[in-house]
Amino acid sequence: MKNQLHRIDLEMFEGPLDLLLFLIKRDELNIYDIPIAQITKNFLDYVQLAKELQLHTAGDFVLMAATLMKIKARMLLPIEAEGDEEIEDPRTELINMLLEYKRYKEATTAFAAMERSERPHYYNIPAAWSPQQEDHTAILEDVKLYDIMLTFQYLIKNYEEPLTHSVAVEEVTLTEQVGFLSGLLQANARLSFAGLLAKFESRLVVVVTFLAILEMLRNRQVKVKQSNLFDDLLISRGSNFENE
Amino acid sequence: MNELKQIVEALLIATPEPLTEARFHACLGENETKLPLAEIVEGLTADYEKSERAYFIKEVAGGYQIVTRAEFEPYIKGLFSKSGKLRLSQAALETLAIVSYKQPVTRNDIESIRGVSSDSSLRTLLDRKLLEIRGREDGPGRALLYRTSIEFLQYFGLNSVKDLPRLREVEDILAEDEEDLI
Repeated sequence: MKNQLHRIDLEMFEGPLDLLLFLIKRDELNIYDIPIAQITKNFLDYVQLAKELQLHTAGDFVLMAATLMKIKARMLLPIEAEGDEEIEDPRTELINMLLEYKRYKEATTAFAAMERSERPHYYNIPAAWSPQQEDHTAILEDVKLYDIMLTFQYLIKNYEEPLTHSVAVEEVTLTEQVGFLSGLLQANARLSFAGLLAKFESRLVVVVTFLAILEMLRNRQVKVKQSNLFDDLLISRGSNFENE
Repeated sequence: MNELKQIVEALLIATPEPLTEARFHACLGENETKLPLAEIVEGLTADYEKSERAYFIKEVAGGYQIVTRAEFEPYIKGLFSKSGKLRLSQAALETLAIVSYKQPVTRNDIESIRGVSSDSSLRTLLDRKLLEIRGREDGPGRALLYRTSIEFLQYFGLNSVKDLPRLREVEDILAEDEEDLI
């Protein structure tokens, strides 16, 4: 690579906009009058490297390269102005994106400074700075949807489908599973989601049952509690639960 | 006053989130004398300074919380497996900055400003409770909307999102760039 680019150089940048801002600053370019041909050429060297290194952001760099080439092409085309109509510079959109990104990038510096100055102060709520911290005492009353989704993802990942050779078409509906859960809740004050899972023979049933729980949660037919992220979900009767 | 100071101290030690005026009054019994929380905190702060405690009371997220003094960080780190607080990556900080100024925002809003996929940053920030999901957008696709949380204010030592440093206007940035060129 002719500019002696290294992996480090590229990873320094948060994305194509960040790289463009760097190139503009380095070459002392006027952001309102970016020499598109020059910057496209420099940019492409980096993109080549991103592809070679198979960085996960490579796609974003390629997309920007395409945008730059499109702008370059449009600037080469003669444009016929109709009447007094003002012709928009093909670079305008890119310039606006760069300026907007720059504002937030600057704010990020301030955020990093605030983080640094708060860093040495500790208080007794560790969730924000140590997500692995385990807390066995708390029962979260208001489980957020996000927590439930995470738990579901986690449980289903560990769910092994028993080996069967049946080819019968399984048919399970949401209504059926809502009925099934209501029945169980008539008899039991609490159900364990992990416990339910163990009873099912296919992933499909698990998914439909999970959807049934979400549906019932929405209608306040059930309440869901969880003592910890990834812990079992405890299902109990909600305010709209219908006793038969 | 002395008894009230003790009550507030106990509440500050036990509270799971910054103690607000409203919460404090809700904790007091019917017949107890009520004084503004700020006044009591002021008294406690003076006591702590006099007796050189290892902690002080910080005004944060619209309430008060007890935090340790900076000089004890080296020792406190020993309590945690990951050598103290985990720092946020540049990508996570950028994402957080965009959400905090533009909230509520969708993932798409964030990505169109950053120009890169921001999935993993968002996940980190949600896991660390610095962001939360607050409903969905009305438009097509019903995209999730993200907001900053109380933990966000605590993490950055802010009283409210209004205390964030002002986002510079585009004109300021341009003016400065021109100066650079000259």
